[in-house]
Amino acid sequence: MSEALITTDKAGVDVSGCFDMATGILDRRIFTDEEIYQEELKKIFGRAWNFVCHESQIPNPGDFMMNYIGEDEVIVVRDRQQSINVLLNSCPHRGNTVCRAELGNTRSFFCSYHGWNYDLDGRLIGMPGEDDFYRNNIDKKDWGLTPAAKVENYRGFCFATLDPEAPPLEEYLGWVGKVGIDFLLAEGDIEFLDGIHKNRLQCNWKLAVDNLYDWYHVKVSHGSAIKIGILDGALAAPDNQMVILGEYGHGIGGPGISEEEQARYDARMASGEGEPQWYDRYAEKRTSPETREMLGPVGRRSFGHPNIFPNLWVAQTNQVCLRIPRGPYETELWWFNFRRKGMSEDEQKFSAFMQNHMFGPAGVLEQDDGENWSHSTRGAKGTFSKTLPLNFSMGNKADQVSQDPSGQSCIETVINEHAQRWTYQSWQDWMAAENWPELIANHSQPPTGEV
Amino acid sequence: MSAYQDLSLQERMLLKFEAEEFLYYEGGLLDSRRFDEWLNLLADDIHYWMPLRRTTQAKEVEKEFTVPGGMALFDDDKTILTMRIQRLAIGRAWAEDPPSRTRRLISNVRIDSIDEDELTVHSNFKLYRTRLNSEEDSWIGRREDTLRRSEGGFLLCRRHLFLEQTVIMSQNLSSLF
Repeated sequence: MSEALITTDKAGVDVSGCFDMATGILDRRIFTDEEIYQEELKKIFGRAWNFVCHESQIPNPGDFMMNYIGEDEVIVVRDRQQSINVLLNSCPHRGNTVCRAELGNTRSFFCSYHGWNYDLDGRLIGMPGEDDFYRNNIDKKDWGLTPAAKVENYRGFCFATLDPEAPPLEEYLGWVGKVGIDFLLAEGDIEFLDGIHKNRLQCNWKLAVDNLYDWYHVKVSHGSAIKIGILDGALAAPDNQMVILGEYGHGIGGPGISEEEQARYDARMASGEGEPQWYDRYAEKRTSPETREMLGPVGRRSFGHPNIFPNLWVAQTNQVCLRIPRGPYETELWWFNFRRKGMSEDEQKFSAFMQNHMFGPAGVLEQDDGENWSHSTRGAKGTFSKTLPLNFSMGNKADQVSQDPSGQSCIETVINEHAQRWTYQSWQDWMAAENWPELIANHSQPPTGEV
Repeated sequence: MSAYQDLSLQERMLLKFEAEEFLYYEGGLLDSRRFDEWLNLLADDIHYWMPLRRTTQAKEVEKEFTVPGGMALFDDDKTILTMRIQRLAIGRAWAEDPPSRTRRLISNVRIDSIDEDELTVHSNFKLYRTRLNSEEDSWIGRREDTLRRSEGGFLLCRRHLFLEQTVIMSQNLSSLF
């Protein structure tokens, strides 16, 4: 791999040679290059539908929480008409932030510098000296807080985009993104639990995304957690893997069962006879006709990890995690925690136990993940080491996409790197497109046939 | 509950000395990586808890910490603490291999209350950690400990930790506080 793979011209950074889908070879400079990172903020985070909150987090008018779109801080707030607004946290007068709390309730956003005051929908409603100093020569309607171009909600999950040309949220999510979120709703409606685990890792955000599809690392990275019994060894990385790839880079990767296994499970449940299997814990959440209808014939057999491109991991622990970029070498992980409405006390206790002990900075799994991601990032910094290719070839050209008559499709295989390859291929599509129409026209379609 | 203020100065000095002696000893065990000995100082019903903390408006500081039973950074019983320590010994605990080097300073020790055989002690801590050649973390916070008298001396039966960070600025919290 030559230095010339990343070139810079006036139009920005050309990363079109960074990932080779045919071989699964990746240029590791995408994890550390400052120019590439700045382009990602514009071309990926500036365009994508970014998860901002679950609607149950801010149930009342005036309730707000802070989030980020790329490195831009946004206030996510419910207004008096019950709409959720996403507002750039920057006063148009001097640029000052108008909100400094992570969460809370307020009647308005009042700038601490000169007192410009904004309503919950971002409208400028007043400032000191409008008559005396501005001589009524300022049009307040032109100087509100800048809202996201669009805010839409899929089954309680609110997303925002800064790009007015972005397609509607549901079109963006496609069936893969929607099924990914539906995984959380398989047992019924959910509500947010107070408290987001947040910490900052010394890694590039894409390595944290790549890892959520990675069922190869589990037995090694999490070897100690398996040995002490806090992570079930049988569930840790079963050979039965299913990968689902969606438009714009969404995907689901991880354990899954075949149609035949599903049929055997159903028969076993009906008769009450037969040996328990590793997947029972997942499958028992997918038995009601409504759930099966919602997830579809393929989706309901997948127990993997969805990622809503670019950076929202839907975990199997009633959690979602944002991988928020903080520069090329730093990422914040934000774990949003949920409970199913009507959970029994015991179920709630178990769920909270998993949420507090698996992930987050003290989590027995994530401590060891962070170590690997930060050192992989470090491996992309050395003047010589960063020129060396990375290998994402596992299972390349070894599998078939099977197409279900419903329109859903999947790859049923063993441990593999299909979803990681798909992520970097899609990432490259996003970086090559100058705008949404170009991305819509030119993005890779999920593969069919041999993969 | 507290008969502490009714004690004489001498009695209070002795109690505080006993508490400090225990806290410095158990902290020293952690810094010396004598984790199994540290576990022996924990009561079977210990609750080791560190809530999440958030930046709030001044008028809403009551929302600053998550509540017991909710989301937390640590919400451990003795089984979990034992697992955390076993993990270090059996290999593949990558965040602690090579191990962290820790040193803690415990100060501002104050007896809050006494209740039969239990003593609630408040203190401040600074836990400094370095790891590998260049990683450096420093955590400062406040502790509320409950020490219970037993045959062999005090046992720690409650440790509630309140860190001064909201977003945890370190790679992990793989050290014990």
